[in-house]
Amino acid sequence: MKRRDLLKAGGIAGILAAAQFPLIRGVFAQDRYAKYRGQTVVMNVPAHPHYDAMAKILPDFTAETGIKVEIDKIAIGRMKDKQLLEMAKPQGDYDAVCYIVMWKGEYVKKNLVEELEPYFKNAALADPNYDINDIVKGYLENLGLVGGKKGYLPGPGAKLYGLPYGAETSVLAYRKDLFEKHGFKAPATYDDLQKILAPLKAKSGIGALTSRGQAGHQCVHAWLLHLNPLGGEVFDENWNPAFTRKPGIDALKLLKEISDTGPAGIPGYGQGEMINAFLQGQAAMYLDSILIMGQVNDPSKSKIVGNVGYALHPKGVRYASQSGGLGLAIPKNAKNKDAAFLLLQWLTSKAADIKVTKAGGNATRMSTLNNADILKQFPDFEILKEQLKYVEPDWRPIIAEWDEINIQALGVAVSEALTGKKTPEEALNGIVPKVTDIMKRGGYLKG
Amino acid sequence: MTTDSRSNARTAWIFILPAVLIMAAACLYPVVSAVRLGFYDWSMGTPWAQAKWSGWTSFEIVFTDPAMWRSLLTTLKFAAVSVSAEMFLGIALALALEGNIRGMAFFRTLFILPMMVAPIAVGLTWRYLFDAQFGLINAVLAVFGVAAKGWLADETLAFAAIIISDIWQWTPFVFIMVIAGLANVDTSVLEAARIDGARWWTLTTRVKLPMIAHVLAITLVMRLIDAFRVLEVIYLLTFGGPGDSTEVLSLHIYKTAFIGQKLGAASAISVLLLVVVMVLTWLALRMSNPLADSEKDK
Repeated sequence: MKRRDLLKAGGIAGILAAAQFPLIRGVFAQDRYAKYRGQTVVMNVPAHPHYDAMAKILPDFTAETGIKVEIDKIAIGRMKDKQLLEMAKPQGDYDAVCYIVMWKGEYVKKNLVEELEPYFKNAALADPNYDINDIVKGYLENLGLVGGKKGYLPGPGAKLYGLPYGAETSVLAYRKDLFEKHGFKAPATYDDLQKILAPLKAKSGIGALTSRGQAGHQCVHAWLLHLNPLGGEVFDENWNPAFTRKPGIDALKLLKEISDTGPAGIPGYGQGEMINAFLQGQAAMYLDSILIMGQVNDPSKSKIVGNVGYALHPKGVRYASQSGGLGLAIPKNAKNKDAAFLLLQWLTSKAADIKVTKAGGNATRMSTLNNADILKQFPDFEILKEQLKYVEPDWRPIIAEWDEINIQALGVAVSEALTGKKTPEEALNGIVPKVTDIMKRGGYLKG
Repeated sequence: MTTDSRSNARTAWIFILPAVLIMAAACLYPVVSAVRLGFYDWSMGTPWAQAKWSGWTSFEIVFTDPAMWRSLLTTLKFAAVSVSAEMFLGIALALALEGNIRGMAFFRTLFILPMMVAPIAVGLTWRYLFDAQFGLINAVLAVFGVAAKGWLADETLAFAAIIISDIWQWTPFVFIMVIAGLANVDTSVLEAARIDGARWWTLTTRVKLPMIAHVLAITLVMRLIDAFRVLEVIYLLTFGGPGDSTEVLSLHIYKTAFIGQKLGAASAISVLLLVVVMVLTWLALRMSNPLADSEKDK
């Protein structure tokens, strides 16, 4: 059946039949975009490898839809202030914003971002082929849902406010060459990990495991990476501080040991320095975001091309890898909300997800991770597919108060333990009153 | 008051009024707003109508918060060390380069370059320079056999790092002010001192520097004010760490406002910062106040 025959046929049957043909489907897709042709979607994104990759595929979006995209790229650390200021105005400058997972609860609580379900239910906007169930479940729940269990997990009341874009989990990367040369095996458990730290440093002559350590968010992120597999949690079911229990202390003691046996200067390392130490051959292992996968084999950034193997984030009392990263949302005060939704939908579609992954971004969909071309280009994605089974959606409490606890309480305590100013017990116990106070102020605890 | 003097006063007010209004809008309004905000509990991103009157609560919280007092102490230490060093080095450089030495224009330009660099770039540059693994400073130390140091990973070294970066950027400001002051010193006075047998040290400490005391006082005040407001470089270099060892008051205010979302408390600390800076400015101006002297001259 030719295209013109289908068009002649008309009616619902014809439309359904036409939808089976890419060319005709393209005509309907263009209709969806026609109303918004010429509009400009202003998007606030961070300086981040995933969004650098996104910038490479945006011309395709404009060519396909006629909608222009203007990028406002700023340092990730300054993004929230700027977004809050913009979204507090009657009409903001941004039509779409990239957010870090920790901010989702606060943005929803302050009524700053749009719920996305009405857009997906709008036949004039929604792509009938958009398969939301193909998005990695842990990513979608972690970055998109607000209002369910604990306020940020799936469950009754949970609604979709954002889509994962630049989401990530953690994975262990290690120097195959050094491990082979000195007779080490990639650690499968936390016991194995702890046991090889000192001998690995002694034999390889470089730091054993690189890690973040800078005061604030960075060192807390590093501590959380170990807290979860060791069976710990920040709060108990009743929102009382639980980080001073044994797993919390053990995770901090381990982090101190990692710092002492790692490349020099870990208590000052942000994410960049942490990655750089591994890429420049100053550390034998890396246990953090999958962001590393796009960089190890890039000769312009890495001195360890071809020498890196991957393994699952080691098991403690359980497997529990990081859930987090970045997502996209539409501000309530956006000027071009529909066009912004079309952009979000396009970016997170199956085809665009493959494109952005090929360009060096993070895959968001299972279909991308199962794509033969992608697996040929990134054979290490096999381990990522396995790792995604163990993404812990409750990796950290994504409540509006988390930023303050993260940076001004835990971020100081963990840092002080890393420099040896306080013991892990002193450091964590010392901030219980402050954290309790914050939780009382937020209404989670009485008093 | 005669008609003439009344008319003169009116004319003076007409000329002064635009400046007064601009100053009131640019300076007074933000200060008054900050004080007002200190009495409200308001979170950014929410309508102002939702702000709750909290009375003195923010001020009470601020004054009983040990983190704020630690931060104030860090700021005082930072300002004292960095501004003293900048004044000393700036004066020394200006004295060394005040004459008509060959190639002096080049050196003068070179020395003021750091001041022109954006604080964000300064922070990033020094972060790379202090990098424990790949930083130039450790590389230079290695030439002299000194072991690599985790500059930003140790409380004392991190504090030294923020001082060094501040000295690097702001000594040129002192240099420019002092060299401009020295250029205006009456040469006949210097000549007279020389005829009286004054040598370089005496000439400098007894004649030149006292003659530019006003310039030195103003420079000191401006550097003190700036040292209390420094944010970007420390934000990028250490983010206040390790622990909170380099968390100066402006960074503490930033974190309280934008991370803790306690705009009221942040404003209360800003008011405290304003008071501290005003007291220090008053003390500095007591040393040599050009405005007081111009009053006397009338």
